[in-house]
Amino acid sequence: MTTTPNTLDRNSNPTGRSAGTAALDLRGVRVAYPDGPDLRVVLDDLDLTVERGEMVVIVGESGAGKSTLLTAAGLLRRPDAGEISVAGTATSVLSERRRTQIRRDHVAFVYQSANLLPTLTAIEQLEIVGHIRGERSAVARARAMELLDGLGLAGRKDQLPAQLSGGERQRVGIGRAFMAEPTILIADEPTASLDPDRSRAVVELLRSAADDRDIATLVVAHDEAPAAAADRVLRLEAGRLRALNGTGAGPTVKM
Amino acid sequence: MFLAIRDLRRGARRFALLGSVIALVALLSTVLSGLATGLVTDGISGLRALPFDRIAFQKGADATFSRSTLRPDALRQFEKVPGVEASPLGASFVNAAPVNGGPRLDLAMFGIPADSFLVQREDARAALAGKPGLVLGEELQKQGVKVGDRYVMGGSNVELPVLGFTFAGTYGHAPIAFVRLDTWQRIQYGSDADGRFSAVVLSGGSRGIGEAADRTGTVVISKEASYAGSPGFTAETTTMTLIRSFLLVISALVIGAFFTVLTVQRTRQIGLLKAMGASNGYILRDGIGQMAILVALATAVGVAIGTGVVEILSRGSAPVELSPRSIATVSLALVAAGIAGSLVAFRRITQVEPAIALGAEA
Ligand SMILES: Nc1ncnc2c1ncn2[C@@H]1O[C@H](COP(=O)(O)OP(=O)(O)OP(=O)(O)O)[C@@H](O)[C@H]1O
Ligand SMILES: [Mg+2]
Repeated sequence: MTTTPNTLDRNSNPTGRSAGTAALDLRGVRVAYPDGPDLRVVLDDLDLTVERGEMVVIVGESGAGKSTLLTAAGLLRRPDAGEISVAGTATSVLSERRRTQIRRDHVAFVYQSANLLPTLTAIEQLEIVGHIRGERSAVARARAMELLDGLGLAGRKDQLPAQLSGGERQRVGIGRAFMAEPTILIADEPTASLDPDRSRAVVELLRSAADDRDIATLVVAHDEAPAAAADRVLRLEAGRLRALNGTGAGPTVKM
Repeated sequence: MFLAIRDLRRGARRFALLGSVIALVALLSTVLSGLATGLVTDGISGLRALPFDRIAFQKGADATFSRSTLRPDALRQFEKVPGVEASPLGASFVNAAPVNGGPRLDLAMFGIPADSFLVQREDARAALAGKPGLVLGEELQKQGVKVGDRYVMGGSNVELPVLGFTFAGTYGHAPIAFVRLDTWQRIQYGSDADGRFSAVVLSGGSRGIGEAADRTGTVVISKEASYAGSPGFTAETTTMTLIRSFLLVISALVIGAFFTVLTVQRTRQIGLLKAMGASNGYILRDGIGQMAILVALATAVGVAIGTGVVEILSRGSAPVELSPRSIATVSLALVAAGIAGSLVAFRRITQVEPAIALGAEA
């Protein structure tokens, strides 16, 4: 897999598949936490590539380091070693300010418990993404409305999180991620707190992120539903990833 | 400030307590400011109204009229300085007893020659030039003193009629009374006044004043510096400044503590915003904006109520007075104190790690 740094503008390459630039590329990533006087190595020389339009699911034991992997991949944490490229930009040498910008322009997160801002209404949860991006408020509002509509939440747009059901909250959270028009969508156990029906709906939405929006989708899951919809399922064990099954996206897992 | 405004609106209850505290501090600051200005006016307005630039006291008098005695030769030295107008001024406190009954008056008595540049109104000049008598501050007229009332000046047997009234003014919290300089000397020294007076007031010029001061053994100070000689003036202004500074420090601490707690409570939310790609600047603008709006609103309420309180007090005998300028000063000082106090809180914002957004979920 070759990467082409300096390809900052993802719009110059709308699909990303034809060029050799992966949406997300991790090379030799290592993360260790201090554990008493010792270091506990959670990710060890880990490689991972996710293409646009691809949905990759990661499974693993509790404590295996799945969330840690997502924080590194989403530029929320600098790895202790290795290189993480997002949309072709190598990030290890970048300042925190630049990494934040890349996060704003290319990465969106979906959390287990939606993680909505308690004092914003459903539509404002989406609008603030536009505000952070410096979008004109009328434009942001129109896009947010359209997204909520597509999520079947148009009627709930003025509700605060406390007034929404768990499933609705999670769909608002996904709408917020879509609002960022990300290159990569990262989801940490997005279905864990939902019943099977709600869970299936969320998985379908994530799948549509990959299929319809051409987003590289990286999902950590405990339950079956996301794995069934994935292009590839990888298992995190002893700090590295191992393929469980796949649909022929290529041997991107280093053994 | 997308988030800050909605947060304030929908979380109003959480901000109500802090808002009330700030409003109370603003109220207190406004009333104190009114009192401080009122006390200053009560202390020196009579002197402030006189049209002079500088004043020469006897060396060591420390701007206090009762400690300063000068003679006509000192006046002549200052009169010789080109571009300078000089006038002698006798100043003392006197208790005036009414001849025909009524309340006694405590007066700040200024003795000046009728042709002095200090006397600006023609009628006042004419009154002083004629028969000896008192020209009193206007507020005494409101208290029922009438033209023609006669008073015996304490410490002497000089009896004077009230000739008329001039601008309202006080010195050392006593209403002013103008008399001709020779009348003042007669009250102060009896028959052996020997031309003595308290100080020389000066208007205009600047070159040569220092030399004249050296020749006459006097100290020349600015008009403003001479206010410190008014009894109680320095103590009052220092006390007021001290209380008001304390209030500002207290509000800075309260605001700082509140926003520190709020920032700690919001750690996860801040991490989330950072994960969404919000820069430190974006989140800081939001937090500081929220603080500024809250402080500004609460201050406006407090100042409005405080202005009302001052208005009510001023109808009584309390020496209170509010100017738009001191209202603006109170408001700006509170907002500045808020910003200073919350700087520590807001510094924490920059230290929040975005990774906590994905941390242990609530
Ligand atoms: N900030 C941290 N400091 C120290 N140790 C940490 C930190 N975050 C995670 N760890 C440790 O690293 C290991 C991996 O944690 P991580 O949260 O990535 O696991 P996970 O695979 O997401 O587990 P789960 O399925 O329970 O969410 C755990 O042993 C955890 O205790
Ligand atoms: Mg986890």
